[in-house]
Amino acid sequence: MKALRTTAALLLMFCAGMLFADVPVREEQFIYSILAFNGKDYAGTFARKEADTLYLVADVDNFITVRNVFVYFWPITQDWKTDTSTLNVPFEGTLELSGREAEPERLGMTPYTYYNIRGEYELNWKVAKEAEAEAAWQRYQGLMDAYWQSISGYYEKRAMYEAMLNQLTVTITKMRDEGKDVTALIDTLKELKAPPEPQYPTEYIVPPVPVQNAFILNLPVGEYRIRFFSEDGQIMEGSERRIVAFEKRRAEAIGLEVIPGDKWTRPVESKTPASVLYIDGSTDLYLRPFLQQEYNDLFYEKMRKNDAKGNPTLMKWVRIQQVPRARVEVTRPSAESQMVLEEPFYVEQVKGAALGYQIVPFDPEGKHKDREPSLQAFHVPVSKDQRVIRLRVQDKEGQYLSSSERQIRVITPSRIGILSLILAACPLIVMIIVMTRRSRRYSS
Amino acid sequence: MNQRAHATSVLAKRRILETLISPGFYIAQTIGLVLAYLLVAGFVRAIDSSGFNYALNPAYELIGRSLVGAFGATFVEKLFSEGPFLFTLYIAFLPVLLYLAVSSVFRFGLEKKVGALELLAYGPADGTSCFLAALIKDILMTAIYLVVLLVFLLISGLLNNLILGPSFYYSLIILFFLSIAIYAYGIFASSLTDNSASAIAVFLGLILFFIIIMMGSFTVVSGYVRNLASVFAWIVKWISPLFYWDLALRVVEVSNWGMYFAGIALLLVLSALVLFFSHLTIKARGVRS
Repeated sequence: MKALRTTAALLLMFCAGMLFADVPVREEQFIYSILAFNGKDYAGTFARKEADTLYLVADVDNFITVRNVFVYFWPITQDWKTDTSTLNVPFEGTLELSGREAEPERLGMTPYTYYNIRGEYELNWKVAKEAEAEAAWQRYQGLMDAYWQSISGYYEKRAMYEAMLNQLTVTITKMRDEGKDVTALIDTLKELKAPPEPQYPTEYIVPPVPVQNAFILNLPVGEYRIRFFSEDGQIMEGSERRIVAFEKRRAEAIGLEVIPGDKWTRPVESKTPASVLYIDGSTDLYLRPFLQQEYNDLFYEKMRKNDAKGNPTLMKWVRIQQVPRARVEVTRPSAESQMVLEEPFYVEQVKGAALGYQIVPFDPEGKHKDREPSLQAFHVPVSKDQRVIRLRVQDKEGQYLSSSERQIRVITPSRIGILSLILAACPLIVMIIVMTRRSRRYSS
Repeated sequence: MNQRAHATSVLAKRRILETLISPGFYIAQTIGLVLAYLLVAGFVRAIDSSGFNYALNPAYELIGRSLVGAFGATFVEKLFSEGPFLFTLYIAFLPVLLYLAVSSVFRFGLEKKVGALELLAYGPADGTSCFLAALIKDILMTAIYLVVLLVFLLISGLLNNLILGPSFYYSLIILFFLSIAIYAYGIFASSLTDNSASAIAVFLGLILFFIIIMMGSFTVVSGYVRNLASVFAWIVKWISPLFYWDLALRVVEVSNWGMYFAGIALLLVLSALVLFFSHLTIKARGVRS
């Protein structure tokens, strides 16, 4: 009986252990928090104590802060994360930067903010430092305060308008019931207009962040070493790191984002002129040409996320921004070249039990009234009988953009594909002939 | 010198004839071409409305996942961006490369062991002319196979509306010169050892070593392993044919033709150096095991 009780108790303890999920082990670490410009926008990452190198794009402003946080490995996404809600202690001090040749330089922390102002396309990042940063932040705050004030005023006016509307309606109903003339009141009602809703400030795509202090690193291409000195002039243990400042190798090429009509959530990118887009021709394509830059795969991936992996011997093209007001020339066999312009489209869910989407022309006056188009793209109709479609991108001046040529090839299962297999067996046939002839020669 | 050239020519003709009348070369070619057929057919079956999707074909899914894990997504993206032929070229070339290299190494070792080379050396030929003859045979057979493979892939491309792409042609050319360097290392391994088994072991060990060093710096690994591989690679790369192959393919990506041809020239120089050391080894050790 005692043995049974002991077993049951052990079993319960074992089950209790299984009931609680595995909590990742959090370790307090000194980290470098990095806000790096990646060619198209700013993205944050951090270098934990095991990371010996920080990767930054050369000749642009990057922001570095140092702090103590809890760091843990998250097995679901297979990456390292920080738990700043429990511990987030930023350090004040100076950063010693030493290059290969130059004398070590001590950098102080600088107040900064960054923002993206609305332009024709998305690449309008601005960095403001020191007094400018405060001014930029104040300007944004001013804009937002004015907006919220106008919103407040709008709600007051709206309430007055609705009260007036209500009062008029009640009066008209009452007068009508009493058989009185309500024409004047109805005219007043018709003239009554709702106050216009204030527009949200559209000056910024990404508004300025509150002014913060950071070490701003804007480095030429090369390798550097950094270490952090606390306010009392002591070197922070474990703060020594290497910095690799790298640049793009090329930037002249045009990439194409290709969205198939039936899978708009699964676009593919064609990045080099030599790349060929092989498709089955079952649906039309929607294209979006973009400017791209070429970076070292490892450096770029590590700059975006310091614990990421990458291939140090490969270069990769990175999408930067859409080509402004481009045009796409489409050439089909035995047909004149056709210039395709950018058009708005709307993505509709396929009706019925079948899952999926279809892309239809945007109809602002009809069924898509009061909606925004889902995408702006160049529509290239595709059919199975057109085996090759050639594309070239022009800029807004009508000049062909270099490295913008592409081929689309429609692949249909070949009925004579088996011919390849027969051809593959040709060396065996030759071997049989050679050996037969030899055996005949020697037997005779 | 003339006598050696004459002996080399006679021996090379003999070896070429022997290769052409024996089944090994044809079987290796067929294996290569069937692999090429399977890869191209698999690629065609993995095409949907948005392009090549390796998840649609079980074989390609396995290949794709393995390559992404080892070399990263950028590598796989580049490998298949022009179609299936770049990957197919390397896979289809392997059986013939291995057959030619290993058979020459084996034969050289065997002839050394049984004393056939010694017998020849008493006559007009010497060890150097024997290995040069084997090299000429291997180069010619490689050229024949590359032409066969090119024709086969062109026909496959035509049948399936695929094109070979510029990277394929650059790789095809450099592959020919890379194979010469590999054959030279095979001869070097044979000259160092006394019998076939050890010659093959040394040869495969050398090639494996070059591959591991190359992959170590190429592979998506981080920290200590990559640093170690990089240091090794830096030391060994100058004698590795794979380094010059990789160099040539990397520079041709940015249309640096001068460096591409320099890569080819360096492969030839490396082959010549390895052959020269083989010559010295044979001279010092003799052709008797």
